[in-house]
Amino acid sequence: METPETFLDFIQQQSGKLLEQTLTHTGLTFISVLLAVAIGVPAGILITRRKRLSVWVLGFAGVMQTIPSIALLGFMIPLLGIGPKPAIVALFLYALLPIIRNTFTGINGVDPSVTEAATGMGLSRRQLLYKVQLPLALPVIMAGIRTATVINVGVATLAAYIAAGGLGEFIFGGIALNNTHMMLAGAIPAALLAILFDWLLSLLQNINVRKARKMLYLLPVILLGLSSFYLLPNTYHSKMLAGFTPEFMGRKDGYLGLKSVYGLRIPTLVISDMIMYKAAYEKKLDVISGSSTDGRVKAFDLMVLEDDKHIFPPYYAAPIVRNETLQQYPELEPALNRLSGTINDSIMTELNYHVDYLKENPEKVAKDFLVAQKLWKPAGSRSKGSIRIGSKIFGDGYILANMYKMLIEGYTDLSAVTKTGLGGTKIVFDALTNNQIDMYPEYTGTGLLVILQAPQQVTDSIISDPQKVYDYVSTGFKKQYDIKWLKPIGFNNTYALMMRRADAEKLHISSISAFTHYVNQQ
Amino acid sequence: MIKLEHVSKNFGPEKKVVNDISFEVAPGETLVLLGTSGCGKTTTLRMINRLLEPGSGHIYVNGKEVRQLPPETLRRSIGYVLQNTGLFPHYTVSENIGVVPTLLKWDKARIHERTFTLMDKLRLPAADYADLYPHQLSGGQQQRVGLARALAADAPALLMDEPFGALDPLTRISVRKEFKALDEINNKTIILVTHDIEEAFELGTRICLMNEGRIQQIGAPADLLFRPANDFVRSFLNPQRLQLELKALAIKDLWTWLPAHTSTSNTVPLTAESTCWEALETLTSSPATVVYQQEQKVIDGNGLMAAIAACKK
Ligand SMILES: Nc1ncnc2c1ncn2[C@@H]1O[C@H](COP(=O)(O)OP(=O)(O)OP(=O)(O)O)[C@@H](O)[C@H]1O
Ligand SMILES: [Mg+2]
Repeated sequence: METPETFLDFIQQQSGKLLEQTLTHTGLTFISVLLAVAIGVPAGILITRRKRLSVWVLGFAGVMQTIPSIALLGFMIPLLGIGPKPAIVALFLYALLPIIRNTFTGINGVDPSVTEAATGMGLSRRQLLYKVQLPLALPVIMAGIRTATVINVGVATLAAYIAAGGLGEFIFGGIALNNTHMMLAGAIPAALLAILFDWLLSLLQNINVRKARKMLYLLPVILLGLSSFYLLPNTYHSKMLAGFTPEFMGRKDGYLGLKSVYGLRIPTLVISDMIMYKAAYEKKLDVISGSSTDGRVKAFDLMVLEDDKHIFPPYYAAPIVRNETLQQYPELEPALNRLSGTINDSIMTELNYHVDYLKENPEKVAKDFLVAQKLWKPAGSRSKGSIRIGSKIFGDGYILANMYKMLIEGYTDLSAVTKTGLGGTKIVFDALTNNQIDMYPEYTGTGLLVILQAPQQVTDSIISDPQKVYDYVSTGFKKQYDIKWLKPIGFNNTYALMMRRADAEKLHISSISAFTHYVNQQ
Repeated sequence: MIKLEHVSKNFGPEKKVVNDISFEVAPGETLVLLGTSGCGKTTTLRMINRLLEPGSGHIYVNGKEVRQLPPETLRRSIGYVLQNTGLFPHYTVSENIGVVPTLLKWDKARIHERTFTLMDKLRLPAADYADLYPHQLSGGQQQRVGLARALAADAPALLMDEPFGALDPLTRISVRKEFKALDEINNKTIILVTHDIEEAFELGTRICLMNEGRIQQIGAPADLLFRPANDFVRSFLNPQRLQLELKALAIKDLWTWLPAHTSTSNTVPLTAESTCWEALETLTSSPATVVYQQEQKVIDGNGLMAAIAACKK
């Protein structure tokens, strides 16, 4: 696939996908808001009558609101698996607080002499609620629904992490791929949706109180209509379901290559790599796009399928450092190079297993390894400058960053700070070029395809030779960014297609070609 | 008919807000609950339509214990005018007035007709006011709507909590006059709360003067004025005593003390039922002729004042 030249080209090329994601996003947002209205408004009414419950109910909804969205989505997975269900539940929980609280305040805000008059004239409690309290509280309740909707448009982008779709697919794919067009194609519609829904609901909110009485009944209908976007048919006929990260979905050496080189046709879900392995293990997914050195490959007993047509380029890890920093502190390079050649694929998998699965502290794992290799030395004076080490949010990065910190402090008089968890390639690389960090561990393949975006003919000619790729990126980075690739560490954390070992053995599948043959047969 | 028997009410263990109150109000009668702020007038009223439950004692409306009726049914048979109107801000004037008839499931045409009749009687022409919202009305207009709302379903009983409280003195007098002139209030059992002495004397058939939750005296206005039961009653009325006396005494009450000269020409007629207050208003411009028990007397201001002084001795 050609990289589109302009943003509009991208939109045009991906219009089908964009529409689908926008509809899914709208559906996710409103189905959860609808549920929150259905539960939150009665709950708000209830606690105006049982004041003692209000502390508990508002407290619960408040706590839900404070849980970071990605964590809340994470909590949902063991309970509800992946896909729209957990996403909707999480979004519902987010929408709850503003709706309950505004219903409560709205009804309590009704002039007590009005409720007294209503009761004194003989309205029943039900009539009081429907004829007086709800209509008068409606603007406040609507404000709550507006807040909830806007929050949910934002949080729904994260739904892409758990295979629930939405505009997050473009946003996170774009960030991971350093593809600004893709990122904007997700972010701009998401922002527009938030503005649009807020505006539409504000029209409802400010409508004359007289009509508002009728609006009360219209509202659920509108919400239901918008929610129905999500109920669009999701027809998967294949027996195999693939879960790929947003990054993998958009890469030539990823899903695009699988389609064009192997001819694979398989329904796919977009999912975060944080939960992908577990989802495969729990049979929610059948094949995933892992990385070959990930600790969870070992933990969940997955099997890497052989890339017999060589679409996945080599991903040898090496520290990349700003030349400016290297010149300022000449002692830095030898210190960093001490790690070179010490970690092969299986050692890296093992280290990742300790961190990802056994939940050991990356710092401890790094130190244990260095001590075992007799590379560890106590920190020096730390009196010179400070080196800022970045890393992506994946396991490798955390561990390597910690090792480099210890090596720098052990073998030089420099100090080092780690800035781990800088998201995907785009974020961490931008941090490096903008002098926010001095170095981070990068993979040769990423340098070639994502950062330098080498022309097709170049890629084709060098991709099967790791040394040529290394040389190419070394030269390219020096020329374009004044950044130096130090010696490779040793392991090759390449993309890999993997499936449950038991299934692979049962179906006699060991390579991607065999897998493609099996899937396309169906 | 409304009847209270030994009714008491506490808020909290200490605070006895209403203390052993008993009275009976017959149809066609207006009982005024009079007293200082916080003496328990509103509380008494709210127990009658069960917005509050009494701590002890019994309350009867139209011969039935209120606790035996479903509260909604009870309340729909009692018109209620609140201290601060409590109009529904999201209803128009006509919808506000129609609330209880709607609850009673009157048909639309009847509600419409009733609402418009009442609005005209209360000098809120329907053509101009029916579709306005309460916030578009002045305070006095809002109180009239509140009154119309309480009268709309023609309930046999009417509870009014300072219905003219929020008005300036002039408007208050005119709204009060309109109220007195309404044929709607004939034959109704009315309890009206106020802390305005003049209003109590003008509207009350009987007055129930309260202090700190207890009844100090209950009786016709003249009883409170001329035969006060205790010092509280006396001192409560003192500031306005002269004016009240002039309003409480009718010409006929002074008949024996009035001089019997018949000479002057150029007089205006005056009924024997006129109060001394009304008579003095007339007498400032010219003497008047009064006929009482087939006897005719011509009176002037000096003669009237002399008769009052003589009567009080
Ligand atoms: N719900 C309540 N809880 C506690 N105390 C109350 C409550 N309602 C009224 N009170 C108290 O009872 C007393 C009598 O109140 P009430 O409203 O009957 O006075 P009122 O005679 O109508 O006075 P006003 O002329 O100012 O309207 C006051 O001291 C008031 O503080
Ligand atoms: Mg009161």
